[in-house]
Order: sequence, then C-alpha cells, then structure tokens
Amino acid sequence: MRFTVHTRNCYLRYCSTIFYKSSRTISTAIYFALASFFIASYAQAELPVPSHIVAPVGEHKGENVPQPIEFPHNTHVKDNKINCMYCHTYARRSKVAGIPPTSKCMGCHKMIATDKPRIQKLTEYWENGESPRWKKVHDVPDYVHFTHEKHIRKFVFDANFPVEDVQQVCGLCHGEIREMTVAEKTKPLNMGFCQRCHQANGGPGDCWKCHK
Amino acid sequence: MNDIKVNRRGFLKALGWGGAGTALTACDLPTTITLEEGKEEVVAYVVPEEYVIPGIGVWYASTCTQCDAGCGLHGRVREGRILKVEGNPDSLINNGSTCLMGQAGVQNHYNPDRVTQPMMRKGAGLQPISWDDAMAELSKRIKSTSGSKIAWVSGSVSGHQSVLISEFLSSVGSKNHFAHETINSSVWSQVCADMIGDAEPRLRLDKAQIIVSFGADFLGTWKSPVHFAGEYAKFRSGQRGMLVQVEPKMTLTGGNADLWIAANPGTEGALALGVANFILDRGWNKENVPGTVKQALAAYDVDTVAGLTGVPATKIQRIASLFSERAPSLAIAGATVEGQANGYDAASAVMLLNIIMGNIGNTIEAGNKFPERALRAKSGNTGDLVKFAQGLEDKKFDLLFFSNSNPVYTAPDALRVKENLSNASFKVALTQHPDETALAADLVLPLYSSMEDWGSHVPAYQPEKVSLSIQQPLMEPLYKDTRGFGDVMLSLLKVKSNAYNKFPDYYSYLKTAMVNMPESVRSGLKGSRDQMWTNLLQNGVLNAGSNTPKLTPKPRAIKAATVSKNSEYPMHLVPSARLGLWDGRHANIPWLQEAPDQISKVVWGSWAELHPSTAGKLGVQNGDFIRVSSASGSIETQVYVHKGIHPNVVAVPMGQGHSAYGRYAKDRGVNPLKILDAVSEEKTGELALYATRVKVTKTNKSEVLVKMGGSETQLGRGFVRTVSADQFRRTEGEA
Repeated sequence: MRFTVHTRNCYLRYCSTIFYKSSRTISTAIYFALASFFIASYAQAELPVPSHIVAPVGEHKGENVPQPIEFPHNTHVKDNKINCMYCHTYARRSKVAGIPPTSKCMGCHKMIATDKPRIQKLTEYWENGESPRWKKVHDVPDYVHFTHEKHIRKFVFDANFPVEDVQQVCGLCHGEIREMTVAEKTKPLNMGFCQRCHQANGGPGDCWKCHK
Repeated sequence: MNDIKVNRRGFLKALGWGGAGTALTACDLPTTITLEEGKEEVVAYVVPEEYVIPGIGVWYASTCTQCDAGCGLHGRVREGRILKVEGNPDSLINNGSTCLMGQAGVQNHYNPDRVTQPMMRKGAGLQPISWDDAMAELSKRIKSTSGSKIAWVSGSVSGHQSVLISEFLSSVGSKNHFAHETINSSVWSQVCADMIGDAEPRLRLDKAQIIVSFGADFLGTWKSPVHFAGEYAKFRSGQRGMLVQVEPKMTLTGGNADLWIAANPGTEGALALGVANFILDRGWNKENVPGTVKQALAAYDVDTVAGLTGVPATKIQRIASLFSERAPSLAIAGATVEGQANGYDAASAVMLLNIIMGNIGNTIEAGNKFPERALRAKSGNTGDLVKFAQGLEDKKFDLLFFSNSNPVYTAPDALRVKENLSNASFKVALTQHPDETALAADLVLPLYSSMEDWGSHVPAYQPEKVSLSIQQPLMEPLYKDTRGFGDVMLSLLKVKSNAYNKFPDYYSYLKTAMVNMPESVRSGLKGSRDQMWTNLLQNGVLNAGSNTPKLTPKPRAIKAATVSKNSEYPMHLVPSARLGLWDGRHANIPWLQEAPDQISKVVWGSWAELHPSTAGKLGVQNGDFIRVSSASGSIETQVYVHKGIHPNVVAVPMGQGHSAYGRYAKDRGVNPLKILDAVSEEKTGELALYATRVKVTKTNKSEVLVKMGGSETQLGRGFVRTVSADQFRRTEGEA
C-alpha cells in the first residue's frame, strides 16, 4: 500500500540538501583517459576488484573536507571490520546510502571509547537532540539520477557476491575509504567514469536512464 | 578581416569537428563544475522512524482544499517534506484523479509570500505582534462587543470547521455568518429545492445519452469538476453520449461539446422553454405536465424563440428531437444562466425540461445527505456577499472575521465593500496569504497551509455514497508563528464558553468528534476508537451508506423574462471563470499562472475575448488594448479574437487584477468583477454576475498577447485531417 499512518510527531528532519555557496575557481585539471588508466590500475592494487566486475577507470584528487567531527573510517572499517552497510544502511534500499543516524553511533559509543574527545563531542550532539552537520563529499549533480540500490543489487545480491566483502564493490566508486579518516573523493564520479563502467559491465546506455 | 573567407559548408565542418572533440572530453570534465566537495551539508536523523527511508517517499492521505469540491488526496512525503500530490483512489468524489489546481496545492503551501506572523494595525500599517498579545486584544474585543455586532465572512465551509464557526458565533450571540463564493451554483440549488425537493440532487451524467448544458461548465468550474470529469468519461464511453452546450462564451466544457450554441445572453431560459414547447407539441414527452404549464409554454413557439434567442429555428427543433431520440437525457443550468437577472426562471425552465423528459429519478436522483446535519456543507454564494455589503453599509457590524474569503478583491466596486470596511471598528483576517482583505484588516492571524493543518470536509455535492474526507497534515508547519484554523477557533471559543476547555488543540477535538460519531456514519470503521481513528487517517475518506428518498417533481408555469436593449451599453460582460485561477484565489500560484487558459491559451495575464465580427467592426486585433466600460467602472485589457463567443459579448476572465496577494499575483492583469453592476437575481437575491452591460472602445495601445500556441490554424499544413460537418453527417450519421 502506498500510504501509512500519520501521527503528529512523526517527522524528524532529514535535511538532505541544501546550501550552494558561491562557486569557486576550478583548479582541477582535465583527465586524459590513457593516463588515468595507469594511475587507476596502480591505485587499486590494494583493494581487490571483485572478479565479476570490470572496475571503472578514473582518478580524482579530492580535497580535504573538514567535518564537524573527524570521523575515522579507518578505525571502523580496517581495524574493527565493520561492514559499510552496517552504518550506510539505506544503500541497499534507496537511491541514497544515508548518513547513519546519531542513534546508531550512540548504540556503540554509549559504552565504547567514551573517553575520546571526538566521542565526547558526539555525545554532546546526542544529548542536545541534534545530528552533526556533515559536509557532503560524494555527490552527483541534480540532473543525474543515481541509485545505490540498483548498483548494490546488481553487483552484490544478484551476483551472489559475499556481503561481508561489500567494501570491494563500494570502493569501485568511493576508493580506499578504509584507509581514510574523513572521507575524501578519489574517483571523479563524472559522466565518463560512469559511462566506461556501464559499457564494460553491461549497464544501460540510454541517456534517460540517468538523465530523467 | 574581409579577406578571411569561410563558406557555410566549411563553417559547419569546423563546427562538427569542434563539437565532436568537445563531446569526447566533456564526459570526463570534473563534476566540480556543478558540485564542490564539502559545500553542501547532509544532516542525518537523530533517531530514524522505522518506516522512513531517506530517498523513498511515504504517502499520506489528506483532502484537497483548492476549491470546495473536497477531493481526496494522497501526498508523497520525503525527508519530512511534501513533494507531490495525487488523487486518493478511495475517494468517491475524484476516484484517484486531481485537477491542475489540486496538483498546484504544493505551491500554495510553499508560497514564499505567506503571512508568517500575527500582525496588528498601528497607524496606517500592519506591525508584527505576538500571538499572546493578539489573542488578548481579540478576547477583549469579543467581550466588549455585543453579539449582533459580530459577523463572520467565510467561503464555503463544512465539517468540523463549520461546526466551530457556528459554535463560536452562538457563544457570542451572533447570527451573522456569511458564506461567500463567487463561483457557485446556488441558483440551480434553489431551483432544485423548489421543483424537485432536493437542493443538491445527484446528476447521473454516466446514465445520460444526451446532456444539454445551459452554461454549466461542469468539466471546469461547476460544483465538483473532477468528479464530473470522471462521470463524463463514462458518458462518452460505450454508446457515446452527446453533449450540447449553450453558453455565451466557450468554456472547457463547451470546447468538448458536439454542438455549441451561443444564444443571446439572458435568453437561455426562453430557449429551454422553446425546446420544451416543441417537445410537448410533438408528443415526444415522457411525463405529462399540468395544463397551466402547457398553456404558459404555448407562447414559446419555435419562431418566437428563434427571434428572441438568435438561435435558428432548425437548431431549436434539432435540440428538441435529440432530446426525444437519445433518452435518457439530462439538462443542467450553470453560471452564465444562473447569473442573469432572470436566472432563477431560466434555471427553472431547464429543470422543467428534465421533468418533461422524465429525468427525475432517472438521470437526476436524490442526493446523499450527510447524517450529521451540523457537518454538512454551507455552500458559499453571492447573495451572502450582497447581504454582508448591505450590513456594512448600514453600520451593523463592529467586529468582523474573515476566513478563506477575500471580499475586498471579489466584491464589485458597486457594493462598496472596501470603502465601507471602515464602518466596522475591528476587522480580523484569518489567512495564509497577504490578500487584499488581510491588508485592510486590523488584525491578521496567520494560518497553517492546508498541508499543515487538520480538518474534515463534507462536500456539498455528494457522490454515490455519503462521504466525508479527512484533511491531515502532510508536513510540519514551515513557519513556527502560524497556527491551525481549528486551533484559533478553539481559542476564540474559549473566550466565552467553557465547553471546549478539555480540548488542548484542534487535533484532539477532531479525533474525539470523529470517533464518537453515530454508528450509522462510521459504519466502515472497526475496532477500538484508536484503531478507528488510525483507519480513518489511513483511508483519508469515510464512505458511509447512501440515503436516497424518492424525488417528487413539481412542474410550474414559467415565464422567461426577456433582456432589454441598452443603447449606451450595448454589449454583455462575461466575467468568465476557469479551472486554474478560479475566482482569483490561485493567482499567487506560478504553476497556475503559467498553465494556459484552456480556450485562449493565454498565460500570466488578462485578456478580453471578442468575436471576429465584433473585433472587425471595432477595428482591433489580437493584442490591441480595449476599454471595457460599464456604468460602474472600466478596465483596459488586450483583445483575444475567437469564434467561440457570442458577437454581442465581451468576456474577461476573473482571477487577475490583484492589488496585493504576493509577488506572483500583484499588479497583473485586470479584475472584471470590479466593474460589475450591482444587479441582483430577481428571485434569489444572488448577485447577477453575468448581467452587466458594457460598451467597448478602442485605445491606441497594443502589445504582443502572451499565449502558448502561436497560431490557431494549421496554416494549410494538414497536421490534423478534418472533414466538414456536412460531409460527416452524410457519411457517418448525425453530428
């Protein structure tokens, strides 16, 4: 059914959008396909590419984006082996992967590492009933319809790929997140990058599939 | 410079290579062109709701309040924001459909010019004030004003909002509730009440084989347009029904008709009587009418009626024979007939046709009535506006409340509403937008939008079952200093009555009232009271059983008064209504300003429709400005020349010409309602909106008329093949 029960207090805001500030000078260079091929093969040596996928080709030198809390992806992913989709739980259900709700962070951090300053800052947010205002790092323009759900379905669930290794699939577009503290953009996520992967892996080639 | 020679071919070649080069590299341009890392914020939920997934919409049921038809809605909510509405398939009124006004409801809600805080008049201007101070001032005024001096002006209102207004007025001892709607069908309702004993009968368009509509734009603006559009689709499918439309200016319904007839304005009643007479003469009638009725009809022989109406005798005979050949039939009367000085008689003549053709109990059934009388709709009309204006003139009111009504804009200047407002010492506007009435008020109370508020609606035109529709918020209020209509009503009630103290807000009142309704009303709801309420919110609508008593036709002798000639003001003014801007309430919605008029295709402005022969005589063409003057005032607007109008009529659409009402509405076009004469319908006291006589003069000004679709012909290119009506009739049967 399309509808659901409404009660008055049912909206907790998930603000997904919002402020464009004035655009800055573009300092990034244009990438040539050949060069990026070699760099890509070198950079991806660490994280294995699943055998059923041809990795998309392209590199990007991301900026260091300061976040309200310097979230250590490495501690969570590399040291503690937490699955990407444990926190980014909407990736397999929706177009967006979702930033984990504060309640999810606090599920562990009520007990764990409560003496660390970053966790104390997080606890402060939690006690004020707020979420940290994270800065967006990975995004595609509004005229591109990208959905995590379909990509995860094709490359993980339909391919019977082990879910515990899902970071190999995520890493195709998000890079070596397990080595980073706060996320950095290391793949260009532009049309050439998408298009090469679609061609190599049999993704749809119609314009309107992404530009609807 | 001149030495460099690039021919066209060379230029295109260069461009082609350049373009290909650009295309190859463009895919790999960094997306930083459009997106910069770390510039947008993304904020997660603190605690997520179980069923909420970011990126995936959740649908809630509610009710459309863009007009008073009461269509059920489903609203798609994503990340706490309402993004889109669709019709509720469980609603028997709209069966899952919406019109363009319903779709544009989200822009009413997100309108950037909403009133966001209470304001009180200090000197010449309105100054912000707190809710506490506003309510304190208001309760002081309510206590110090005698009940008979308090009046409430609203639009059509039903359900528990209507109950609260009545309760408030009775708590202060006032009987002055005026429900005003410019677009209404109150004359028809009065005729129905008098001639068949039911003011709001159910019209079975789907059963009819022929519909003859005398000015009723039932696909656009008459009663319940979305409902009738659905019934009309049934009428046209299967054995295709035939639609005949009699009206001075082509409407959306007229544009769909098989036969479109422009009778002389004000003579439509005579036309109906002529048809009735012809039918009785030939013995084609299904029911017999008393001798007196027959005798009165005898005066309307075909030739006399043809002379009176300007409709050729052959056409009158053809309509009459269609009536008899294509039973069951249905004849209805709408705005352009109701809105004449003889509107009641003309609509009665149309109803007499139904009686003669045996349509009562067949295509006209008794309408369903909501069992709880207090919740039934108070349909707005213009009679109440006239009474209100008179009361204001006579200084009868001290404390005035306006809700869902903008009489300063909709009332003709001849009624002097704006000038006489100063006769009332304190005027309160409960409003969502800074409309003309709000700006003339002493206290402005900002309301939730209909997508933020609670409500219940029992539309006047009830479908096959008794229906009530629940309006539940589709998102949290955008502005913290706005309040719900019901919440404000409860605070007003608490000034003089203790009966409502147990309800902290309108939500609790509405819930209590709904779950405690008699068994007969909430028959479809099961379980505990909380479960019933949950079910009701989930469905959005309550469809109880039907109650259909038998109708008894009361035919009577009718004389249709003729329309006199007026040499100073020779033409008739049609202030035409359309699905879109409606009576002007939607002029602040850019989508609806942008949506072209269904006939002229004009956007974002006003125009005056003229017949080609009239325009030719006047020497004007599309885009030229003309002055339309009545005894009460004049307006200037651009000409649109169209064949779908009576040569003696000028039609100016209502909806534009706002002097306030936000950035999209203000100072755009003209308001034809302003220059209407204060002519009343003789029997009902309704304002005769279509009885104003005007003259049209040319001005020197001319501008491009902004409309979609540059040309009205195919310029000989034959995109759509056509055959002449004559040829069609010969080869395909009647047309």
